[in-house]
Amino acid sequence: MLFPTVTFAVFFAIVLPVSWTLMRTPRAWRVFIIVASYVFYGWWDWHFVFLLAASTVVNHVLAVAIYRAGEVRTRKALLALAVAFDLGLLAYFKYTNFFLSSADNVFGTSWLTNVTLPVGVSFYTFMAISYVVDTYRGGLAPTSFGRFAVFQAFFPHLVAGPIVRASELLPQLETPRDPRRVDTSRAFFLIVSGLFLKVVIANHLSTHIVDNVFAAPDSHSSLEVLIAVYGYAVQIFADFCGYTNIAIGVALLLGFEFPQNFASPYTAVSLQDFWRRWHMTLSRWLRDYLYIPLGGNRKGRILTYRNLMLTMVLGGLWHGAAWTFVAWGTIHGIGLAIERAIGWRPVTRAQQWFGRVLTFHVVCFAWIFFRADTFSRAGQVIERLFTGWGQSSPLVTTSVVLAIVVGIVTQYIRPTAITSLLTGFQRLPVLAQAACVAVALVVINTLGPTGVAPFIYFRF
Amino acid sequence: MFPAYKGIVVLIFALVFAAVLEAEGLRKQAQIQPAGFQRTLALDVTRPLVSFSRALHLTTPRHELQVAIGRGGEDRIDTQVHLTLPPPAGPLPRRKPRRHRHRVAAAKQVFTAAHPLRLWVAGDSLAQVPGDALERVGGAVDVVRIESRLSTGLARTDLYNWFTRIEQAPAQLHPNVAVFSFGADDAHDYMGGAHVGPFGSPSWIAEYTRRADGVTRELNADGIYVVWLGLPIPDGPGFKKSFPVMNRILEHVAAEHPKTSTYVDTWHLLDDFHGRYTAYLRVHGKLTLMRLPDGVHYTEAAGDLIAAQVLKQLSAVYTLR
Repeated sequence: MLFPTVTFAVFFAIVLPVSWTLMRTPRAWRVFIIVASYVFYGWWDWHFVFLLAASTVVNHVLAVAIYRAGEVRTRKALLALAVAFDLGLLAYFKYTNFFLSSADNVFGTSWLTNVTLPVGVSFYTFMAISYVVDTYRGGLAPTSFGRFAVFQAFFPHLVAGPIVRASELLPQLETPRDPRRVDTSRAFFLIVSGLFLKVVIANHLSTHIVDNVFAAPDSHSSLEVLIAVYGYAVQIFADFCGYTNIAIGVALLLGFEFPQNFASPYTAVSLQDFWRRWHMTLSRWLRDYLYIPLGGNRKGRILTYRNLMLTMVLGGLWHGAAWTFVAWGTIHGIGLAIERAIGWRPVTRAQQWFGRVLTFHVVCFAWIFFRADTFSRAGQVIERLFTGWGQSSPLVTTSVVLAIVVGIVTQYIRPTAITSLLTGFQRLPVLAQAACVAVALVVINTLGPTGVAPFIYFRF
Repeated sequence: MFPAYKGIVVLIFALVFAAVLEAEGLRKQAQIQPAGFQRTLALDVTRPLVSFSRALHLTTPRHELQVAIGRGGEDRIDTQVHLTLPPPAGPLPRRKPRRHRHRVAAAKQVFTAAHPLRLWVAGDSLAQVPGDALERVGGAVDVVRIESRLSTGLARTDLYNWFTRIEQAPAQLHPNVAVFSFGADDAHDYMGGAHVGPFGSPSWIAEYTRRADGVTRELNADGIYVVWLGLPIPDGPGFKKSFPVMNRILEHVAAEHPKTSTYVDTWHLLDDFHGRYTAYLRVHGKLTLMRLPDGVHYTEAAGDLIAAQVLKQLSAVYTLR
């Protein structure tokens, strides 16, 4: 089920009141929310509901076993089993064809098979890994099976994050949410802004310039290619931030607080700063479960660079089974290593603006590899940036430029401006609030292109 | 912070208000759904909604906004099949058997990078990737536009009326060749609101053939050559029955106009040695992914293969330098 659809609107209009009605009877609420989440997930392909259920059962059983095991060796073995199961699941569904086709092209084997990628598998698998690892580290006592099933399958975060930690969501599942204190203004703001980003900005850029240029860069002028690269940077932000805004807003209306996933990433003054602002829940997952266990920055310069590179390359591979994603991660890894080597810390205003412009362009350069299907296509895009100036650029329209400008300028809006907007909204009577939300929904739907494009991060 | 019930009230009222303001759009969404319980229910719900909204002039703000952004006709449902040429009397004329006589080959039209062959690529979602691949060819081939509209076709004019578009496009785009990919989403029991018998029945096939043949003749009359892309071999049973039906019709239509249209057999272009579905094919000795995980849509590599085949068949008609 996609968020910006009538189907989801009807689904949520039923789930929201029923959820609050059942909130005082936690067991009934858990059963209801699990069923609702499985319906939400099964709307794409009901077969994969069994995969989600299997992941829940195996991870819960192993987490409980880790917690109860006395010996360190047994605990380690059980942890290894759980992580192997989760990574095995990912490896099978996500990387089978990638490795087999690579092997085939090197060794001439013919082991190929058709494997369909289940939606959201990377997200709920990472959440499961964090649960068992936190249990092993002693920071978490396993919860009941029902609560863990809700934690893993809760529909707002199920298919594209944010990657919520057990320590963030499980305590909220322990006690019923307070129906007297729900941050509805922020929830509606997040939902409406998320829909605007996805339906208007991301879809417009995708259909009006980005897809055309990346499909055939040689047929477009340098200006079109340049604007398409900027356009993709804004598109992927609007698409993914839009999704997580809606997810966080929907969870808020249900009474749950999710962590923030984006904090104006294109205002970052360095790559390190960028990764504190972009897909923040993945960044901290990679930091806590990969970079720090590898040694982080505690084992000398060379090993720090190695750990940075490994983390970013594996982060790239998490996004998809293709060498272009490896290249994307490598560019970020090299950039982070250079920043560390030269000790880049912008202090003055001029340095910060220089840092912003430079970081944005390094990120845009890396997005070329992320978006292109092959290295040769990425090469064509880069080459075309220099070889097609002076040609006509029919795809560079006012609406395209406006969408890019809006996508970037909105990141510079001060939080105080949003707070005063929300305060004004809160003061309105309930029917006026509903009218404001309705008008926003209609304007967004009218401005957006016909049809609903899937979210980019669904395939990760 | 507010009580939860206020959030529920705001949500429900917002959805109701939005539905009233958006009534015309919802009505169209209901109309274009596949026949069945869901469509009937959606039509039953949106009928009074539209009447209520129109009575209070609440459809006006959305319509004004649509007009302002140049999309004023978006909520209109046009089910007319615009074919201006009269259908041939009786059954479609059979191809005359070829006479084995020495003929002087007619000079082929020459196209170059300076004077390129103008291609208009249109159809459902399967049109996009071959269109992109043809665009990459460049040189003597100029793709003037790729129009790929998801889930549309020649059957469901209520969803999107390709006949209207095909009527307008020659004057707007001046193509030499129209490359069409239709049929993947046409396996419905009714066409543009009219029931013509179940999918695959003789009456259904006759009507679809009339439409595809009409499109070919209309475009041929404007001097436009028509390329019908066949449907590829699909994975899974879903499309295995419908795609061959569509392919037979399109191949038949192209065969009826051998000098002005051609059929590109993508089914056999993308199957394996045993005639079965395969996601990968070996291209220049390297295993290459041809199909997306849904088992229907093309990857770029498949698009390149199809584009090469289209150009090969076009080179029988035109000289491309």
